[in-house]
Amino acid sequence: MHDGSGRIVVQNLSKQFGAVNAVQNLSFTVEPGSVTGFLGPNGAGKTTTLRMLLGLVTPTAGQATINGRPHSQLGNPARIVGSVLENEGFHPSRTARNHLRVYAAAIGVPDRRADEVLGLVGLGSAADRKAGGFSLGMRQRLALATALLGDPQVLVLDEPTNGLDPEGILWLRNFLRSYAREQRRTVLVSSHLLNEVEQLIDQVVIISQGVTRYYGSLDQLRKSQQSRVLVQPADPPALVKALQENGIQQVSPTPDGRVAVAGSSVQQIGDIAAKAGIAVYGMQEDHADLERMFFQLTQGQYTGGPQGHPPQPQYQGPPPPGYPPQQYQQGPPSGPQQQQQQYWGGPQQ
Amino acid sequence: MMGNLIKAEFRKTLSLKTWWVLLIPLALVAFWLTFAWGKITNDFADFLSSDSDARQVTRLIGLDPSQVPVGLLALAHGVNLAQLVPGLFGIFALAGEYRSKTITTTFLTAPNRISALTAKMLTYIAWGAIYGLVSFGVSAIAVMSSVDSGRWPSAGQWLAALGGTILAAVLVTLFGIGFGAVLRSVPLAVVLFLVWFLIVENVLVILLWGQTTVLGGILPNGTANGIVGGIAADAFGFNSLNLPDDVNSGAQLLLQYTAAAPGVLSWWASALIFFAWTMVFFGLGWAGNQKRDIT
Repeated sequence: MHDGSGRIVVQNLSKQFGAVNAVQNLSFTVEPGSVTGFLGPNGAGKTTTLRMLLGLVTPTAGQATINGRPHSQLGNPARIVGSVLENEGFHPSRTARNHLRVYAAAIGVPDRRADEVLGLVGLGSAADRKAGGFSLGMRQRLALATALLGDPQVLVLDEPTNGLDPEGILWLRNFLRSYAREQRRTVLVSSHLLNEVEQLIDQVVIISQGVTRYYGSLDQLRKSQQSRVLVQPADPPALVKALQENGIQQVSPTPDGRVAVAGSSVQQIGDIAAKAGIAVYGMQEDHADLERMFFQLTQGQYTGGPQGHPPQPQYQGPPPPGYPPQQYQQGPPSGPQQQQQQYWGGPQQ
Repeated sequence: MMGNLIKAEFRKTLSLKTWWVLLIPLALVAFWLTFAWGKITNDFADFLSSDSDARQVTRLIGLDPSQVPVGLLALAHGVNLAQLVPGLFGIFALAGEYRSKTITTTFLTAPNRISALTAKMLTYIAWGAIYGLVSFGVSAIAVMSSVDSGRWPSAGQWLAALGGTILAAVLVTLFGIGFGAVLRSVPLAVVLFLVWFLIVENVLVILLWGQTTVLGGILPNGTANGIVGGIAADAFGFNSLNLPDDVNSGAQLLLQYTAAAPGVLSWWASALIFFAWTMVFFGLGWAGNQKRDIT
């Protein structure tokens, strides 16, 4: 039987659909007690990964387990894991209550559980309405109600904020937070938009092109952010030299004649420039926010990196004017995500 | 666990209208076709004594035209056409779940796919039996209201026809499940199923009758019809297996067509062959669903 840990383990998971590598050698772990975001652009392999975890898609290689077991060996799986998937359906002519009563019977929970979960997701007044007449947001709530029927230890949600209004998203955030934290359960939420789930998640797995790009806590990812300063000096080479002499190595020129400096502050740079007698016409602090970090981590998908061997993450997020992405090398990934022995980069690992 | 899944399957059906909406055409077809054929077969005894080929057959098999149980022929027609309804019902069982995408939740709430599909199969066997029972009951009423009581089936024949109707309806339901699962499309499966069972196969059997009389005895529609049709034909002794050699093939077609089973070998041979057809489609559908990626 399963170990009751509430742990999701994805190990070297791969899936090929014909010639398409939907998921390549993906590995990560999701622990109970926290909400983990599963992020990546559309087409990154998130849905396929979740469906492999739930036994709906057979992996080409590797395995995905919940409580140490594949989905088909969980016994009564809906008591262990509930899921809200895109593309999950309701018969349009079946009422919400009847839909839930069907699956309450399958799971073996009492019929009153159907009304309980309807109340829980705020659909109590729509219980006798047919699902075919539901809005997208109501369908999402009904899907969540279905997932909650078996009072599962693990919740897996694929793009759950789709179709929810801001109020609904706020409600979902609070609900999932308390579900994960107060009840020590596992919640895995996929999204293609970091800012949609940023307030909700503690841990994050970022994938792109079917490969894990980052896996660790969101706080660590935030701390790893380096802001940079764009300096417009009278004599760029002289400034670069002066900065390097003062131990600031992460300096690179920009096409419009400015100098990009990472790992330093406006004050520091101003002082160094003043001491070196270099006139500075302007300085601009450029804070890389989490969204840009996410974009940068998942960019390979859009810049057409070689298939099967994605480029190392580079600081090539949406650049400010005059900054083509390749001008600002962040260098090899460093910082918390590596210290934690988390999973950066592509299949070369 | 299986009990839970079967309960869920029944709730799926009972929470929608399809099951009783389908009972309407089933009852109408079973009643009116039986009734109409009952009227015709009431005169069948006269046909047996007037047509030279038929007279030859009845003499050879020692049948008294005035006492033939023609009610069975009418019943066979009614239930044979009506059993297409549980076939359609079966098509919705799996293909319909793919259509409404509830198959995902069905698989996620079952221990594994084998148990989900097994529960569905067992539930639909029950539904097939229910449809068969209704079809038989309605047809029996039609027999009683259209055929003289002297020509009703005997008690044994009633029972045999009841058993045959239920067996055929169950098998056709499972055939429908498999057919729908293989084609993975409700509209396509419904159209192909009806076109094949109502038109294509009948045309083939009749067009090729000159070359071979075996098609009706081995193709799906012929064998499905041959279960009850074979019981009716048995009562007259004109199964292909025991038909005297000197009956010409035109008369054989006519006689067996009257029993709604041209080319019928025997009821049990039909049942076995149609069971094989059912297993082919059900097996293919099952195998496909066992492994299929639900994306």
